[in-house]
Order: sequence, then structure tokens, then C-alpha cells
Amino acid sequence: MSPKELPSRPRPLATSAAERIAVIIEATEKAAASVIDDAEEQASRYLDEARAEADRIVAERLRAVADELDPPASGARQAPHLKPVESPQPDEAPKSAAAQRSRNGSAGARLLATQMAVSGSSREEIEARLRSGFEIEDAAGILDAILGPED
Amino acid sequence: MTLADLQALDDRYLMRTYRRAPVEFVRGEGTLLWDSEGKEYLDFMTGISVCSVGHCHPAVVEAVGEQAGRLMHVSNLFYTEPMARLAERLAESSLGGRVFFSNSGTEAVECAIKIARKHAHRRGIAEPEIVSFEGDFHGRTYGALSATPKLAENEALGPMLPGFRSVPLNDAAALREAVGERTAAVLIEPIQGEAGIYPIDDEALLAARQACEETGALLILDEIQTGMGRTGSLWAYQQTSVRPDVLTTAKALGGGLPIGACVTDAAAGEVLEPGDHGSTFAGGAVVAAAALAVLDVIDDPALLREVRELGAALRDGLLGLDGVREVRGRGLMLGVGLEQGLDAAAIGADLLDRGLLVNVPAPVTLRLLPPLTLDSSHVDRAVALIGDSLLSCSLP
Repeated sequence: MSPKELPSRPRPLATSAAERIAVIIEATEKAAASVIDDAEEQASRYLDEARAEADRIVAERLRAVADELDPPASGARQAPHLKPVESPQPDEAPKSAAAQRSRNGSAGARLLATQMAVSGSSREEIEARLRSGFEIEDAAGILDAILGPED
Repeated sequence: MTLADLQALDDRYLMRTYRRAPVEFVRGEGTLLWDSEGKEYLDFMTGISVCSVGHCHPAVVEAVGEQAGRLMHVSNLFYTEPMARLAERLAESSLGGRVFFSNSGTEAVECAIKIARKHAHRRGIAEPEIVSFEGDFHGRTYGALSATPKLAENEALGPMLPGFRSVPLNDAAALREAVGERTAAVLIEPIQGEAGIYPIDDEALLAARQACEETGALLILDEIQTGMGRTGSLWAYQQTSVRPDVLTTAKALGGGLPIGACVTDAAAGEVLEPGDHGSTFAGGAVVAAAALAVLDVIDDPALLREVRELGAALRDGLLGLDGVREVRGRGLMLGVGLEQGLDAAAIGADLLDRGLLVNVPAPVTLRLLPPLTLDSSHVDRAVALIGDSLLSCSLP
């Protein structure tokens, strides 16, 4: 057997194993980094798309409800707390605390009615709740907008 | 083993953290319980709002048995289908974000506190603060305990965690005043349970939501007792004028097995990262399978309508009794305010003798938390028993 045919001298086991592990770790880390980058990018894109779609659906629904009840003088109405609150324009007159509370209450009443409708409450139940919680005696407008007009 | 033997064993080996009623329960089915002497009880307490689908609901028993025979536990380092499906179910039925599972309600609150504090730190708040209402009950671990004003007063257990404050119940102005630049979250129960069933009014809820919007704080609703159909909708917030950023649930979720969850909207669900929180047992396959079975029963419009209707019937029946001053709450989560001079603890004990389990959270309040699966005959029987008891206890 010529020297070339001789099997190469086995390297010490620990060295061999350590090198192999190092190679495996390096390859794994590269692959993981690539997977993480891809996954993060994909997750971020998916999340952004999902949020945008959810915001759009909720905003459209609540805007439709709000407009039907109280048509805006100009511009689009903000859905209650589900979309960012717009900062007041510098030339806008400051609203009184009472007016602000009233506006919040109105938005709250609509959200209450929507959530109750979505969770399966009847027209009568929502009406009773609006009466007790918001002292709204005639809730027909809100209810018609959410549930459709009564037959 | 006799009841006396059991009491002696309990007294010798268990820490004295509870004063138990002298009854040993050995069996339950639906709305009924039986003690070791064969006496039948109507259960209007459900283990403090835990057994909302009734005792040993066949669907829950089957799900637990099937899962326990297949796989019980592998930890959260691996995937299990029941946990993932349960997370989907909870998120899709509420806030649409993410879920962290725990083993109890207080642990779910701990998760919510961590989310709030980290969220606040990201907003540059060095010493975040959480605001609650006086009378709130959020749990007995140190974070939740610190957010529970009455229990946090126990100096023997101090010091509490810093960064918690409270304002009077339903005081919208005080709440607006308390929520400021340092506020990480407003953490409240939509209906205070342990305090004796006190609903938060619409103005206060709206104030909380608005204050959180203005400051960037999170609104966390503790739905541990109010959630899972107890008030007649799957979540109590669905009958209010607000939508929270985070909610906590537990108690009825497992149908009798211990499980809790912290559920977020999309944004709050991105706050915690690997290493921020964890639990060895939480979301285990058996409890998750049980919870899925519970949700199959409770997340049903027909059942929820029954909860509202039977709740209204129970309220009306109670209001017709001599000795009842008021009935608070929603659905089948009712607090019965008794006339002054009546001793609720004595009436609770008398009702136990008569075969009706109720809870007594305050000196003049009975708390009724029956199974959501009860029927009108149970309502009639409970009202009759309470009427008899009030009559007998008010006699000179």
C-alpha cells in the first residue's frame, strides 16, 4: 500500500467533532438568520396588511353609522377610539369640557350599541341599555343604523 | 372518612388561609352538588364563577378524558394543537390580537401588568403607574395584589410593588385627574365582583377609555369573573361603551380546571418578546382541551340569550322579596343588597342548611353566580329558598 493509499491519520476526536460542530453552527446560524429575516419581513407585512384591513372595515362601518345619525359638516368623522384621535387644528375654537363629554358619550353610545348587536343582544335589550346608561329615550336612529329599520 | 376526620386532617396539614364551611362535597352534576351524607344542594356559587357550564359537563369531561389519555404536558417549548386553537378562539372572539396563557386569573393579570409596564417604558416612562378603582380585585400574587387596593393595605404582607394607585369607584373626574404622563394603564373590572357586584358606570368607563387615548396608556379590563358569558355576552365589555386594549380571563375558562389568559389587541400583542414572560404549565393540552369544550358550550347566542333572560327573571324574583334592598349586576352575575339589619353571613349559612350555595362577599350582600346552564325551575327554587331564609332571619 503506497503512502497515498494509506488512510489519512485520524485527527483527534475532540478536534474533529469541534470543527464539525463549528461548521454546523455557522451554517445553522446563517440559515436561521435568513429564515428570521424572511419571517420578520413576512410577519411585518402580514401584520400591516391585517391592521390596515381591520382599521378600514371598522372605520367604514362606524363612519356609516355615525354619518347616518349625524351627518358631518365637513370631512370624515373619526370612529370612536378605534382610530387615532386627530389633533385639533390651531384655528379651531377649543371645545368645552361639557361638549367634549357629550361627543364622547354619543360615540360611546354608538359603540355600545354596535358591540351589543355584534354579541347577539336584541333591539329591545340594546334600547334598554342605551336608556339606562346614556339616558337616550329615542334610540331608534342608532338602532336602525346598526340593525336596520324595524319592520 | 367522616367529616370530623377530614376536618382534623385539614386542620393539621393545611395552611390556615381559608375558613371552610362544614360540608364535604363529593359529587356534582349540572346545577346540583351532593355532600358526603347524600344531601343535595343547588349551586349558585359555582366555585366562585368557575363551573359556569355546570358541574362535570359531559362535553368537558369527554374532552379532558380524551386529551388526558393522549397527551397531558410537554411544556411551552413545543407546539400543541389545543393551545393554538384556544388562542385563536379567544383572540377572534374579542380583541383580535395575541394570547398569553397562565394557570390562574392572578397570573393573567401579572402578564397584563408586564405588558403595561413595558409598553410604558417604550414610551419613555421611567416609573410607570397603574390606576384602578377602589374596590377592584385583581388577584393575590404581588403585582395583582398591589393593584387590589383593599388587600394592598395589609402591611403585614408589605411592601407592595410601587406604581399603583386607586381612585373612588365610578368617580370619572378623579380618574381623569389620576391618569397622566406616568400612567402605564388603567386596570379595572367592568363589574366589581369580589366587592359585591358593582358595575362600572358608562361615564367612568368612557372617561377611562378617553384618558388612555389621550395619554397613550393601555385600558386593561379584568374579565376574570365577568367574562365567559357570565353577564350575558361572551365578554362583559361587549355590553359597555368601550373596547379595551387588553383583557384578562380565567375562572370559567377551564370549566373547573385551572387556566387563565391575557388577551390583547394587535398592537399590545407585540409588546412582550422572548424571555419577557413564561410559564411551565400554562396552556397545557388538557386544560386547553377543556377550555375549547367550555367555549363550545358558552359561545352560543342561544345560551347567552338564556343567560340574559334568566338573569332578568332572577333579578325580578329577588326584587320581589322582603328584605331585598337592591339587585346589582348583569346577566347571571348578581349582587343582592339586603336591608340594613340583616346579616348576610347568617343568611348565607342558613341557605347552606336549606340546600342553596351562595357567596357572601360583604356584610349586607349575597353574591349569586349560578351555572349559565341552569333553567327556570332552578331560578324559581333559589328565589323561594332565599325568600324563606330572609323571612326566617328577619324574624325577631
